[in-house]
Amino acid sequence: MDAEFTTGGLIFMLTSWAAIIGLCIFCFSKVFKKK
Amino acid sequence: MSQKRENWGSKIGVILAVAGSAVGLGNFLRFPVQAATNGGGAFIIPYLIAFLLLGIPLAWMEWTLGRYAGRHNYGTAPSTLHIIFGKKKPWAKHLGSIGLLPPLFIVFYYVFIQSWILAFAYYSLTGKLMEVTAQGSAAVTQFFGDFIMLKTCVGPIPSAIIFFLITFACNMTVLALGVRKGIERVNKICMPILLFLGVLLVIRVLTLPDIGKGLAFMWNPNFSELANPKVWMAAAGQVFFTMSLGMGIIWCYASYLKPKEDLVLSSLTASATNGLAEIIIGGTVVIPIAVIIAGANIEECAKLGTFGLGFQTMPYVFGTLPLGGALQALWFALLFFAGITSAISIIQPLISFCEDDLKFTRKKSVATISTIIFIGSLTAIFGLAAGTVDELDFWGGTFLLVVFGAIQAIIFSFVLGRRKANAPESCADASADPDENEAFALMNEGAQIKLPRFFKPIIQYVCPAYLIILLVSYTFTDGLPLITLSNIPADAKVTFLGSEFSQLYFTWGFRGFMLLLVVLLNIAIAYAWRKGGTAEMGRDAGIHKMPLGKSDEYINRLANKKKKEK
Repeated sequence: MDAEFTTGGLIFMLTSWAAIIGLCIFCFSKVFKKK
Repeated sequence: MSQKRENWGSKIGVILAVAGSAVGLGNFLRFPVQAATNGGGAFIIPYLIAFLLLGIPLAWMEWTLGRYAGRHNYGTAPSTLHIIFGKKKPWAKHLGSIGLLPPLFIVFYYVFIQSWILAFAYYSLTGKLMEVTAQGSAAVTQFFGDFIMLKTCVGPIPSAIIFFLITFACNMTVLALGVRKGIERVNKICMPILLFLGVLLVIRVLTLPDIGKGLAFMWNPNFSELANPKVWMAAAGQVFFTMSLGMGIIWCYASYLKPKEDLVLSSLTASATNGLAEIIIGGTVVIPIAVIIAGANIEECAKLGTFGLGFQTMPYVFGTLPLGGALQALWFALLFFAGITSAISIIQPLISFCEDDLKFTRKKSVATISTIIFIGSLTAIFGLAAGTVDELDFWGGTFLLVVFGAIQAIIFSFVLGRRKANAPESCADASADPDENEAFALMNEGAQIKLPRFFKPIIQYVCPAYLIILLVSYTFTDGLPLITLSNIPADAKVTFLGSEFSQLYFTWGFRGFMLLLVVLLNIAIAYAWRKGGTAEMGRDAGIHKMPLGKSDEYINRLANKKKKEK
């Protein structure tokens, strides 16, 4: 219950956020790009 | 004969519709529990691997099979398999009935659950839920229990029934408006709102004091768990269930794609949007807040399950914070938007079957499916305590998804994947590379981004193998006790409509009811495809090689040519 948020935890959280946000930006930029 | 089918109005419309179908309670409630109990942050490693090797490839396959179906003016598996395998294999259309069973079984309980969300959103807005929260967490649990067990009444009518009727009417109204004016429009409105509400909740949770302790439970990696095969299976299962795979929904939605419309990018975008809702909103809100405010540990969260966390813990936790009523309303609004976009997607394949296979009008299809759902939902409403929802969820929402997912992967890889794009029975675009197989030719038609080469062997071999391993391991671990009912004690009793039954006999009896539905569905399929019937006439060899996007023009030209010849 008293576990502290470790650097490893922070890295995993931010890396997965960055990965999925990056994928979304890539996809939506292509979707909205005019042909 | 050539009944014109609807198309999606825009590319973003179909993307949001598929993403809306996938984003649901599983993203916000199932994912965090799975992650926290299977290695915390380290769970993301098998999760992302399963996303790449299983989720994305299977989604592409289902979209492609949907395109194949739509090209023949159908939207569901029975007709598609009948066309793929040809008239000489009459069993194919009945094999395809497996693709209609998940939506049929899930919808019987999903609308009822969706109505709980509407009710709790209403109680949040009126302040009723805050009154209950002030009395403690046990009072919230009691309030939720009384509501779903039909003990909370407005006059003589249980509130749950009233909210069910409102939800049911909303869903069917949207579907009656059709694909473009109903489903697409609702998703275009609901999905941005859902993501906005999710971001608001994430910001609120991350600004709570001591949130680090809560995030530690969710994200601190426990690498020793990666050696446990169960963690890898849990990650694969989560990816499979969260992306609406194996339900026939993507299949049906993709059948409404315009000819030459991109599929590879649309599928990837919908999957990414679902991942965004799952990893960021799902991974931040529920577990951290339950841990730091309710003092729950992970085992307790897992024991509470999806509904306990969503309808008991979260309202209580939000209620204890400043502006608790607003946060409760925000939470249930988020779930409501997720619920409605998922519910309409579950019902649409059934409507498509009536429209395209049975050749009903839209009005008649909606009326028929409404009647079936209404009757079926009564089993969930009155049989909830007796375990009917658990049975429907096991077969419709779990087991058959993996079975149908495996069937799709095999058909894509080993049937369409073995046919040349220019074979006489192929329906790929005439301009496709003749060396390409029909499966990939269909997938790449109009593609805005080309399918990376390394994905081809993953799609054709790795993904089907992954699915078969998932199916076998699930069946022989968690599935077997549920299939054989060995998890139910022999003396266990349940109450249904005021009478007491042995739980074992009741469950087998309910399975008999589900089997009856399977038989009736197959009779409907046989009727649709009877010799000389309307559906049988739907397949016209002439359409195979017609220029895409010019089908009406082509038919007219052909008719004029025949007239001149006469």
